[in-house]
Amino acid sequence: MAEQFQEPVVEQIYTLNLGPQHPSTHGVLRVLLDLDGEFIIKADPVIGYGHRGHEKMAENRTYKQFMPNSSRMDYLSGLLYNHGFVLAVERFAGVEVPERAKYIRVICAELNRISSHLLWFGTYIMDLGGFTPFLYCFDDRENILDILDRVTGSRLTYSYCRFGGVNRDLDGEFISMTRAFIERLRSRWTDYHNLVTKNVIFIHRTRDVGVITPELARQYGVVGPNLRACGIPFDVRKSEPYEVYDRFDFVIPTGTKGDALDRYNVRLEEMEQSCRIIEQALDQLPEGPHINEVAPFKVKPPRGEIYFAFESARGLTAYYLVSDGSPYPYRCHIRVPSFGNLQVLTEVFRGTLVADAISILGSIDVVIPEIDR
Amino acid sequence: MSNRETITQKLQAMLPADDVCRDESCQAGVLFSAQVPLAKLRDAMKECDTAGYYLESITALDFEDTFELVYHLNCYEPRARVAVRVLCGHDQSPATVSDIFPSALWQEREVHDFFGIEFVGSPDMRPLLMPEDADCYPLRKTFGKVYAYHKRDEIYG
Repeated sequence: MAEQFQEPVVEQIYTLNLGPQHPSTHGVLRVLLDLDGEFIIKADPVIGYGHRGHEKMAENRTYKQFMPNSSRMDYLSGLLYNHGFVLAVERFAGVEVPERAKYIRVICAELNRISSHLLWFGTYIMDLGGFTPFLYCFDDRENILDILDRVTGSRLTYSYCRFGGVNRDLDGEFISMTRAFIERLRSRWTDYHNLVTKNVIFIHRTRDVGVITPELARQYGVVGPNLRACGIPFDVRKSEPYEVYDRFDFVIPTGTKGDALDRYNVRLEEMEQSCRIIEQALDQLPEGPHINEVAPFKVKPPRGEIYFAFESARGLTAYYLVSDGSPYPYRCHIRVPSFGNLQVLTEVFRGTLVADAISILGSIDVVIPEIDR
Repeated sequence: MSNRETITQKLQAMLPADDVCRDESCQAGVLFSAQVPLAKLRDAMKECDTAGYYLESITALDFEDTFELVYHLNCYEPRARVAVRVLCGHDQSPATVSDIFPSALWQEREVHDFFGIEFVGSPDMRPLLMPEDADCYPLRKTFGKVYAYHKRDEIYG
């Protein structure tokens, strides 16, 4: 289809305002589309509707007070952001963490990653017009929310990690629930593949649609599953292992073409890899305290800075903290993965059909409040 | 030769030895940090582009005596992050790098929103995250409730 696109010769350019309340724009994204018939000539995303000023808030709070903010940027993988912030401050201030806490954090973080991917899977297929898989996904996701609710006390905006450990210890019930969930999720793959992956309409809507080449990905700083779909096996969990990720055996799934179908396959495979990490972590889970009781009550990192990168559900995320030695950060910058992932659309949308734009937007998996911060 | 060695050598050849710093352990998350003069910013970024790096983040720090722009770049190799740091006075304007890295366009717009730093030569300086009619630069230390406003040497000295 994209081959048929030619530079418009007529002066009849039609401007369409997509969003911000359109159900397929996932949050509050607005895109101004310049159209020539059904083809997109130019796309101009308008963002900032969800700007809350988290970076300014960080300067007015102690490190501990900022912790609840960290999970409110990307509301689908809040625990990963919370985890990343705690890790950054711990490395900065030199706080020791007991072994058991490290494993607990990894288990919960990976569960959160699966729940984020499951929600993406359901809503993406819904964008493409299939309502049924959405209900299956939410059924599975509900299990994860119940498991995490049990141990963290919240369903979406987790503030579970503490400097030096985690808030509450795991119990036997959590472990058996998690194992049962993984078994159940694995038995569901067949259903998902029969419902979606082999569906001919789905394949036509995604194959060769929204191709991101490796060079384009590099220019725009695309990260996460979108980058891995173009064949580059780059994952912070492998390239700069943090926590205990270097002790687990898992692979980085990659695609070949970088189209929407590859991005779909990569995310589905990532869920399976997360299951493997959780299983290994549960097997290796050591006994001991879940929090460092002698960790300082007031965290005061030394003068200087740290740039801490971790892998959230959407890719490389980083906290850049500058400290003047006081309990308040002098500057806190958050590098979010969706920023580059959304910006690349200005290039990818050119020459595609409006109907494909919805498919591409969904396949990129952006969370707008994360960009707006 | 790997990308990270290439860029390290290029930047070392370009700058005096005092202005570069290499930390093999990456304790602060950065392998190689380079203090680049404002005039050489575009040259340094071009070298990074040729070496196969991508631009990860642009941010600014507000000090009493100066702004500091920090460009974090990375490539798809383990522990290869490079930081390009530029001092930019409160009345100075750095050159845009959005023609070298397209991803810089939005990030420069964001820095402009929050700090009021104009990027010379940028094709688009409309507000990105702030409202269109905003008349303040919220991340400057002169705005709102602020606990500390330091000179640069008090933190990095």
